Amino acid sequence: MGLPYKRQSGSALLANSDDAAAMLDGAVKRYGSGESAVVALDDVTIAFPAGKFTAVMGPSGSGKSTMMHCAAGLDQLTSGRAFVGSTDLSTLDDRELTKLRRERIGFVFQTFNLVATLTVKENICLPLTLSGRQPSDGMLDQVVSMLSLGDRMHHRPAELSGGQQQRVAVARALVARPQVVFADEPTGNLDTRSGQEILGYLRSAVDKHHQSIVVVTHDPNAAAWADHVVFVVDGRVHDVMDSPSADTVLDVMKGLGR
Amino acid sequence: MSQMVRSAVRSVLASRGRFLLTGTAIALSVAFLVATLVLSDSMRGRAASDIAEALAGTDAVVQGVSLGEPGGGPGDPVRSVRRSLDPDMTERVAAVDGVEEAASQWKGFAKLVVDGSPVGTGTASDVGRNWVANPEFNPFQLESGRPPTEVGEVVIDRSLADDAGVAPGDVVQVLTATGMHDATITGIATFASADAAPLERTVLLPDGAGSAWLDMAAPTEVLVDIAEGADRTEVLGQLSALSDAKVVDGSDYIRTMQNAATSPLQFLNVFLLAFAVVAVLIGVTIIFNTFTLTVARRRRESGLLRAIGAERRQVLGGVVIEAAFIGTIATLVGLVCGVAGVGALRWVVGLTGISLITGPSIVSPTSIAIAATVGIGATILSAWIPARRAAATSPMEALRESAAEPRVVSRARTASGLVLAAAAIVGGAVAVVSSNPVWLMLAAAIIPALVLCGPAIVIASARWSSPAARRAAGVSGSIAAGNLAASPRRSASTALAIMLGTAMVTMFAMFASSLTSAVGTDVHDGLQADLVVTSATPDFSTIDPTLAGRIAEQPDVDAVTALKKTEGIVEEKAQAIGGIDPTALPTMFDLDPIAGDLADLSSGGVAVVGDDPSLLGETLEIEFERSTIEAPIVAVVARSTGGFEAPAYFVDAATLEASVGRLLDAQVFVDLADGAVADAEEDVSALVRDTPGSFLATREEHVASSGSEIAKFGNFIDGMLILASFIALLGIANTTALAINERSGEIGLLRAVGASRRELRRIVQLEVAILSFVAASIGIAVGAGYGWAMIDVTGGAEIPAVIVPWLRLAVTLIVAVAAGVLAAAWPAFRVSRVPVLKLVSGDS
Ligand SMILES: Nc1ncnc2c1ncn2[C@@H]1O[C@H](COP(=O)(O)OP(=O)(O)O)[C@@H](O)[C@H]1O
Ligand SMILES: [Mg+2]
Repeated sequence: MGLPYKRQSGSALLANSDDAAAMLDGAVKRYGSGESAVVALDDVTIAFPAGKFTAVMGPSGSGKSTMMHCAAGLDQLTSGRAFVGSTDLSTLDDRELTKLRRERIGFVFQTFNLVATLTVKENICLPLTLSGRQPSDGMLDQVVSMLSLGDRMHHRPAELSGGQQQRVAVARALVARPQVVFADEPTGNLDTRSGQEILGYLRSAVDKHHQSIVVVTHDPNAAAWADHVVFVVDGRVHDVMDSPSADTVLDVMKGLGR
Repeated sequence: MSQMVRSAVRSVLASRGRFLLTGTAIALSVAFLVATLVLSDSMRGRAASDIAEALAGTDAVVQGVSLGEPGGGPGDPVRSVRRSLDPDMTERVAAVDGVEEAASQWKGFAKLVVDGSPVGTGTASDVGRNWVANPEFNPFQLESGRPPTEVGEVVIDRSLADDAGVAPGDVVQVLTATGMHDATITGIATFASADAAPLERTVLLPDGAGSAWLDMAAPTEVLVDIAEGADRTEVLGQLSALSDAKVVDGSDYIRTMQNAATSPLQFLNVFLLAFAVVAVLIGVTIIFNTFTLTVARRRRESGLLRAIGAERRQVLGGVVIEAAFIGTIATLVGLVCGVAGVGALRWVVGLTGISLITGPSIVSPTSIAIAATVGIGATILSAWIPARRAAATSPMEALRESAAEPRVVSRARTASGLVLAAAAIVGGAVAVVSSNPVWLMLAAAIIPALVLCGPAIVIASARWSSPAARRAAGVSGSIAAGNLAASPRRSASTALAIMLGTAMVTMFAMFASSLTSAVGTDVHDGLQADLVVTSATPDFSTIDPTLAGRIAEQPDVDAVTALKKTEGIVEEKAQAIGGIDPTALPTMFDLDPIAGDLADLSSGGVAVVGDDPSLLGETLEIEFERSTIEAPIVAVVARSTGGFEAPAYFVDAATLEASVGRLLDAQVFVDLADGAVADAEEDVSALVRDTPGSFLATREEHVASSGSEIAKFGNFIDGMLILASFIALLGIANTTALAINERSGEIGLLRAVGASRRELRRIVQLEVAILSFVAASIGIAVGAGYGWAMIDVTGGAEIPAVIVPWLRLAVTLIVAVAAGVLAAAWPAFRVSRVPVLKLVSGDS
């Protein structure tokens, strides 16, 4: 831990702002107990601003996934609080959390993103159908045409390429117009071009629909699509950066020993 | 190697839940199998050794030429019908060179009556036989008292004595073909060391009672002792040269008697064994599923090991050792449970009303060996097949490939299945048309057809049910339907277990309902008389023939008519032949003639029970012990007089007695005058009460009792249905748990995008419900089809029509689906409790 803890004051990420799409406050996540305990999040306080594209970066094992899971209500914090909008997740029971996930959060995983037995269209509409809603045609069409999936709607996931599959997953995350979309290394398994495409779509969702998006990535070029970058090291927020470029991100990464 | 064993054990312990389920499946199959084997050994084994011991002293037996053999199924006569011997046969046998001694053996009907009520109920028959003086020959041994010496004295077997609570010196009555006789008990005897001869209740009579009581002109058999030093073959040859008699070697005779004693239980054994086979099949399915998945899960890991230089054997040998480990432990548990559970099985069998020999269970090494081999062998084989398949793929392929099985089904497989199915249907059709049971073997090809078509059926049902499921349960519905097709082979093996189970139950249900209808509804629909007098046992007439005349003299009695019954041979099969008064009977029991006129019986015609009017005019030959009649068929009737032993043919009572001699009445029908008061019934009742061997029932009572035997058979089927569902339940629970394990990623995803626990549970249960519904429907259809063909071809006169038990089939379908959903409830509940992230990361 020889690195100085640099606080970049004035960044929207650290302001306890009321217009945060999601927020962690003093978040601690500990796995196991006693000698073998691992502290994956060590007192993290951060707000992901609404209508912005935030990238999360950091070495492998630094706690990025844990941060996403806890912020999205997929996992419980050991201490501290997680908010989506103004809702404190720790006050919700399983039923309310489930409802929150289907209505207010979109999630994209690195793999395991689609239900193999459903068609592309059914997969995209899944969060809506689960809550008994119909997709508004306009939104579905917009998302589908934005992600160029129009001619694939009645295919099964197995009939699509990896890049197409991730596009379906992104469409599913966007279609319900959730308050915030979390994506954990959505491009990790893709070639550079498909990866860039995905990030481009996410970017345009932010620009066109004021969607709030948080993406974990290892790629400085990917981070350059973002409005803000959060650097995580050993379970702590090491640095934040506004309006990043590939070069400035790479510099910080080098500083982290990468 | 020992390291491999250790790691195999560790792996079993690590996935305890899955292997507990597998182990239970193996143990249950083994237990069911061993219990069945032990039960059938106990039923036959004891009887066989008793007979061998009792008849050990007999070198050869001379008996009448066989006319027809018993059927073995319910409704078939239990004894073979033989031509009578010459009355002086014993003397002629004794005169043969090399015969040391010959003894007459008389065997007929005799029923012990104590204080006016007959002793003994259940399947055993009531036998009267003479006491053979030479203890060498006599299968019975005196336990107390002395042999009977003059007519009027009897010895009874110990089980009768125990049942009736009588002892030597007591005065009892014996009902025989010549009526009721007073008798004094002079002794109690055992059959070898057993309480009674297998499935017989025996009253032993003195010489001379044969003709007076049993109404026989000649002995049934002559027992032969061949002199020491005489040439055995030579003596047997000389005996065979005697006219009109069949000579049986002592050991053959013992074997025949052993078979005869166990054959009434044969059909039960077949049922039990069929269920045991299904149980084992279901068990094997479960084991096979588990190991296929175990291997698939390790495929990538073993691909890696192979890539860095491990041998195939090193990689997958562990799986086989694991299987041997589980197989052995589960089999041991199964053996113990099975032997302990024989009692439970006895109880289920007892539901049929069949009184089993109450002796101890015989646990033979063969039973243990068979069950153990099946248990351990099936487990190892189930592990070895997928392990071999996995080992045959190249390391890189294994690394690349996903663990899931391919979703496509080979066309060739489905096509050959369809060919087999078509062949099975053709076989069934030909069997029905040609009435040739051999073709039923071809119809059995439906089972391999189902195995082969299973995956295609699963995929098709997933596709067809999808819209309905979607309409019923929204997106959960389509996910559920889709999941079925996700691993068609595994779903198919679950489906197969359900299909086999329901098909089996359906077949038995068809059998029972057709039999019930043949037996029960005949009485229900045909009986018009107000009162019915019945015999002490359905298979032997015991009503004094003068009773009918005495009832007719009572005031307020409108009409009375008797039914006589005997056994005759028609087309080489023993059949019950009825003798009736063709003018009086139809007014009291409507036989429902569909062709011809019953009145023509009086001119020497015969009526046949059946549904084919074209039989009219054909000539029928009926062989009796002492004579043969040839008569034209003058009537075809749709109905017989009901009961297991109902006649398949009717002739005029006078014709019958002219052919076989004097007969007691089997049933007497009584019509009271219209508006007759209870007094009339009381008068008849008093008469009947004073006439031993006759019992009075009102129409309602008689209808009810004629259905009750079959109702018990129905209970048996229900008992088996419960057992079968229990095993199938395990299978479904296991497959569902496995499927969930395999799909944990997808399920986690569903949770992550907001599916609630209830929705998850619903998906799993819907999936199982669809599968159970489709499989049970197919199973029921197959069972109904096969059962229909079988009953139609082999049912004969006892089961003239196939009756489909719609209600029971519907219940079977509902039970199968409900059992499936119930079985899936537990894994569904478990999965809904697993934290979302654990599912997503796939390490549940
Ligand atoms: N389920 C778990 N149990 C125990 N430790 C865990 C678990 N998940 C993550 N960890 C540990 O927490 C730390 C952070 O993990 P993670 O959030 O996955 O990092 P990243 O996504 O940045 O690579 C790591 O040290 C990891 O080993
Ligand atoms: Mg991660």
